[in-house]
Amino acid sequence: MSHTRADLEIAAFAIDEVVEGTLTGRDGATLRVSSPQLAVGAGEPALAEATVEVVRPGDRVRITNVLDAVVPDVRADDPAATFPGVLGGAWDDAAHPQIHRLRGAAVLPVCDWEAGGLVGPEEFPGSYVDMAGPGQDRSPWGSTVNIVLRCVPAPGASVADADAAIRRASLDLARALAATTLDADPDDVRRVGAPPDADEELPAVCAILQVASEGPLTDTFFDGHNLRDLMPRVVDPTWLFAGRLTNGAYDWPGVRNTTANYQDLALVRALERAHGETLRFAGLILAPGYLDTAEAKRRGAEASTTLAAELGAAGAICTTFSSGNSHTDTMLTVRALESREIATTALVCETNGGLTDHVSEADCLVSTGNEDELVPAWTPDRIVGGGDGEAGRAIAMVHYLGSCVETGDGPWTAVPA
Amino acid sequence: MTVVHYVNQFFAGLGGEEAADHEPVRLDGPHGPGKALVAAGLPIDLTVACGDDRFALHEADCLETLLAWIDEAGGDVVVCGPSFGSGRYGYACGVLARELGRRGTPVVAAMTPDSPGVLASEGAAYIVPTTANVAGMRVAVPVVASLASRLAAGTLVRSAEEEGYLPRGLRVNVRSEALGAERAIELVLAKLGGDVRSEIEPPTDRVAPPDPLGDPSGALVALVTEAGCVPQGNPDRLPTRHANVWLRYPIGDRAELAPEDYLSVHAGFDTTEANRDPNRLVPLDAARALVEAGRIGRIHDEFFTTTGVDTPVAVSTRMGQEIGVELRNAGVDAVILTGT
Repeated sequence: MSHTRADLEIAAFAIDEVVEGTLTGRDGATLRVSSPQLAVGAGEPALAEATVEVVRPGDRVRITNVLDAVVPDVRADDPAATFPGVLGGAWDDAAHPQIHRLRGAAVLPVCDWEAGGLVGPEEFPGSYVDMAGPGQDRSPWGSTVNIVLRCVPAPGASVADADAAIRRASLDLARALAATTLDADPDDVRRVGAPPDADEELPAVCAILQVASEGPLTDTFFDGHNLRDLMPRVVDPTWLFAGRLTNGAYDWPGVRNTTANYQDLALVRALERAHGETLRFAGLILAPGYLDTAEAKRRGAEASTTLAAELGAAGAICTTFSSGNSHTDTMLTVRALESREIATTALVCETNGGLTDHVSEADCLVSTGNEDELVPAWTPDRIVGGGDGEAGRAIAMVHYLGSCVETGDGPWTAVPA
Repeated sequence: MTVVHYVNQFFAGLGGEEAADHEPVRLDGPHGPGKALVAAGLPIDLTVACGDDRFALHEADCLETLLAWIDEAGGDVVVCGPSFGSGRYGYACGVLARELGRRGTPVVAAMTPDSPGVLASEGAAYIVPTTANVAGMRVAVPVVASLASRLAAGTLVRSAEEEGYLPRGLRVNVRSEALGAERAIELVLAKLGGDVRSEIEPPTDRVAPPDPLGDPSGALVALVTEAGCVPQGNPDRLPTRHANVWLRYPIGDRAELAPEDYLSVHAGFDTTEANRDPNRLVPLDAARALVEAGRIGRIHDEFFTTTGVDTPVAVSTRMGQEIGVELRNAGVDAVILTGT
């Protein structure tokens, strides 16, 4: 990975309704989805079933066993290169890629690993999106029209094979849905790429995006390759918007970095908006979290700091991946940055017991919410995704997909009470 | 909606300091400041009262009586005070609030922020800050009435800052108008300008390292782990993550931990190798060798265990303190604490 800035055009198409039909297509803001025609999951021997179901905001539905969220994207100039490395195509920096993107709709792959006998009880945390009720506003996908891709692993398939098949199927479905726009005029077009020159007097601020890759069900992918050997490196933020960074790490859902987060990272968007106004966006560093040893954590923190200094950053914003162990990576990175006099803030979630880790240098923190707070009990009319969905029971915030995500994409915060 | 109001002897009209030993009483309807609460829109069904000294000297008995009356009345919400700057009255309000809070009964109290009642309430009550004397009654009463009405109705109570009550030590979720990304940029720019702000106050708990062990050859050493090491079958259901309990298991005269007897239920790492040799979680074999070599005295006859995954610092602190008490009482001199 190098960090040459590429240009990218993102053409957005608003979707406010999705209906199931005999053909897949789009009529204005209405998306028609034909599950048989899409044949999602066909040719995936590790999947016994892959069925599509549409759920809408206001439906009294709880979606369960949610793995990821994906924004429907297609690379309009080269559809085969959509989600490069996963769906077969390769990225070409020399081209001027154009992404067509559906806005207001999402693909949510779900899989009941426990029912498939692939994980034991309590090994996989409950992962929900409520389309109505008190939990609806906890997950950002409570307010999008969702195309739920329900996957059932084939008997005898390994977790790794089933997971890879599910990821391919969900990204393939996202591409197929966005492909309905290929000959249409977008609602708006955004161009991203190398930032224009900005006043040198403005402070340079970089972002450090923490990801983790530890093995099947806990991997993050760049161009389809897992990032288990990632060392901190500067990356072109445009690559994220182009769908090159995808999620396969199904940690606690509330603090899970989804593919959709990477596709439209709010922190990069906000830094690009502020560029030339209040700051200079110095660059994006992709850094590993959940590192195994104290030495690896220290090295990771130092390496991120070295890169931030090379970018000329006077300030840095650290994101955090999931809960627990990774908070130590974040805190050590804050400490290392501050030791180089780079003013740092970090995004972290809280628990009922406070922070998981803290260093004295972390004096400027953004709270992404208290993951332990209980959301009042609600009984949906229908469960989509299997299991009992803990219907009728109060559920901790951390079980709602993306509720306390520490990338800066969420609105939640915790305050004294 | 049933509202119960607690006041001391003075505000119940039973007398001043000379009535401070008055036993608990119950009175129908509002009395004293209860009438102001009614005027502010909060109907008072029952007033319970107690002398300040009586409560302080016979706390358990007074509590039992007061709680029984409140239970009997089916109180949906209880208002305590305002006790203003009164220490004894404030303490009684705080203790009653704490006990009601533990039973799940909503409580609103009002007192000065430095009243002993604030600490005594242990975060169980919404406490409206007041002035030190009754001059603050007019300001406090509408706030108390509003909070109590909404708590009784089960409707939303917003953050301490928005509502004006004293923070209870809890952190509740609210939607911000700005995304986390935007708030992070605002904070880092402010920090660059010399204005250091945080949405999370830093914890203040720092642990100083103990003095080195003098002569380890006579020391009683305990084995403690957060590796989730438990007997096969996890008989006491140690949580695999988010544990808020610790357990202890006898070591007896075992030379080591056999893999057929122990395993790790820790959800934070691949336990395959550790389960092949649980001594790598709880190093009993190595500790026995140290005893054999005369390097340490003895091994404490039980090991302590929990799972350290997603465990907040506050929970870890509490568990550490609890285990520490046990170890100290057992005369343990040193601990080998294995982490994962």
